[in-house]
Amino acid sequence: MRDFNFVDKSKKLDKEQIRESLTYWKDAWRRLKANKLSMIGLVGVIFIMLFGIVGPFITPYTYYEQQDELRLSPPTMKVYQITDEYYVFLNNDYKLLLISEDGHIIRRLDLQIQDFVNKIYYYEYEGDLVAIDYHYRVYEPDGDIDYTVTYLDNTVEQPTKTVWNKTFLLGSDHVGRDVLARLMYGARISLTVAFIAALVNLFIGVTYGSVSGFRGGAVDEVMMRIVDIINSIPLMIYVILLMVLLNKSNIWTIILTLGSVYWVGMARLVRGQIISLKNQEFVLAARVIGVSQGKIISRHLIPNALGPILVSLTMMIPTAIFTEAFLSFIGIGISAPQASWGTMANEAISMLQTQPYLLVLPSLAIGLTVLSFNFLGDGLRAALDPRLRQG
Amino acid sequence: MNNYYIKRILSAIFTLFIIGTLTFFMMKLMPGGPFARERPLAPEILAQLEEKYHLNDPIWKQYIDYMIGMIKFDFGYSYRELGVSVTEQIILKFPVSLRLGALATLFVIVIGIPIGIVSALKQNTWVDQLAMFIATIGVTIPGFVVATLYVSIFAGSLQWVDATDLDHWSSYIGPVLALSFYSLSFVSRLTRSSMLEILRQDYMRTARANGLSKVRVLYKHALKNALIPVVTYLGPMFAAVITGSFVIEKVFSLGGIGRYYVDSVGNRDYTMIMGVTMFYAAIYIVMVLLVDIAYSWIDPRIRLGKKQGD
Repeated sequence: MRDFNFVDKSKKLDKEQIRESLTYWKDAWRRLKANKLSMIGLVGVIFIMLFGIVGPFITPYTYYEQQDELRLSPPTMKVYQITDEYYVFLNNDYKLLLISEDGHIIRRLDLQIQDFVNKIYYYEYEGDLVAIDYHYRVYEPDGDIDYTVTYLDNTVEQPTKTVWNKTFLLGSDHVGRDVLARLMYGARISLTVAFIAALVNLFIGVTYGSVSGFRGGAVDEVMMRIVDIINSIPLMIYVILLMVLLNKSNIWTIILTLGSVYWVGMARLVRGQIISLKNQEFVLAARVIGVSQGKIISRHLIPNALGPILVSLTMMIPTAIFTEAFLSFIGIGISAPQASWGTMANEAISMLQTQPYLLVLPSLAIGLTVLSFNFLGDGLRAALDPRLRQG
Repeated sequence: MNNYYIKRILSAIFTLFIIGTLTFFMMKLMPGGPFARERPLAPEILAQLEEKYHLNDPIWKQYIDYMIGMIKFDFGYSYRELGVSVTEQIILKFPVSLRLGALATLFVIVIGIPIGIVSALKQNTWVDQLAMFIATIGVTIPGFVVATLYVSIFAGSLQWVDATDLDHWSSYIGPVLALSFYSLSFVSRLTRSSMLEILRQDYMRTARANGLSKVRVLYKHALKNALIPVVTYLGPMFAAVITGSFVIEKVFSLGGIGRYYVDSVGNRDYTMIMGVTMFYAAIYIVMVLLVDIAYSWIDPRIRLGKKQGD
């Protein structure tokens, strides 16, 4: 036996300190992956995109189809058993719904007699009457009993169980539209508005900023004065004014409005980047070999400023989503029956006390979407900022 | 030295002038004219209305009248409600918005800044992490979402508070919270990061080495410097919260100017829209101007900025 053995070649290679050379983007992606919050944001963004893009194809409902019979059914229902297989649920609109064992809504029962004196409503089911005694609600609002259900001399005082609404997974609204389907279409609208508006901003902002930064001198001075003035105007007010001026509320006017107002930040950023880059040697070299000014900007300067531009673009998207929801919420954005989260929240506000889910669901959707994009944007900012690069 | 102030004031006036001109011509460009109704008015009535509101004057004369009116804080009369002056409406409804905005700003100062300071001093402990987690959520969730969730939980499910009108002190909690949540989160984050920046400076160590007590160093040296960016943020923030409460006022059905603005947008009441817009813009610009002046006073590098470059 020898004291020394030859080392296996593959093992030898293993020991050598070889690291794959990392490009800027690879390195950024590596650091983005390490950031937990931004990965949560990324997952959220992907989920919302799937929700908006694929969702409407899967759901059996559309955003406009109204089933007035089945309106205002909440996502979870406290049901009362009346026969072996069927249950009933009284919604806040005093419509009685026939519910199956597992939570499917079979149909609405017709109201036969309204006894206002004793506060009892009678509904017809299979030739007999279902009596709903709701005087407890009126006279003893804090009591244990909400209302009682009597069918064939059998009185049920307490809900038999709570079931998940299987017909409308997230409930139905005041005209019987499926909330889930509307949320999906709302995601589609929000994302469309946000992405196109962000691209418009990108285009205007980058063009304006790079011309201003590259030209310098008097051109720069005038262009930046204009930016200063726009910057000193409360933008939300101008967005509202422009929407009024355009006098039409649809997705395109919102995109036009957002695109024409919010490019200022991008222009400033790009100008700053261009100014810091334009005197470097590689630009001089390009000039020496006769590259045109437009090409220098588009091929040499902008690609080098892409990191900050991308971050600003990601941050633009939640702003656009928020603004669209806001405009729709105050009634000058997307109008019904089109489903935007803001429109849905706006419609729900008057029914807040009785149907809170109609308001909470779109609000949560807006909140979570904006949160996801912001987490992702924060992560990107950290990943792409060369000053924060630490191994 | 005074040059800086004069330049800032002149540029603020110029900006207001531009905004006034823009709003005027936007109003003229509105399709359908101010009296377009679903049921068209009789031509005689229309002619009389146009006569009354001087809409038959040449456009330059209307423009000059409008600008002169603006200087006198006279925005004319509503196109929708007869005999209602825009200025009177603003004076009547602005106090509600002002009160809410002032409370929200106070709330931000009293709660937000201390949270930021504590977070910075206890960096990376659970206190810091919890505070910054909430603050991160706060800067991302829109105010009207906070408002609607608050109403649905505390006024809807729990029935703890009455969500409408301002007749009891508890009914202020919701609007002020919803209005200030974003700024509160932003200010605590800003205070924290600026505080951390200052604590790392060499002169902090020097001050400690010279034998000053920890508390003294903190108050005399760190805090004063750390709060400069925060103070500059507070000015525009104050303007933003008193002008940006449209939705909050709508959700809580309060009779402030924001809700009024939204209503007049819905009614296409052009003089009202323009008047309130100008009023908002003026508040905003004056606040920014005041902060800039205050800033240059606190930090002389700003006003002497140009000379450093020479």
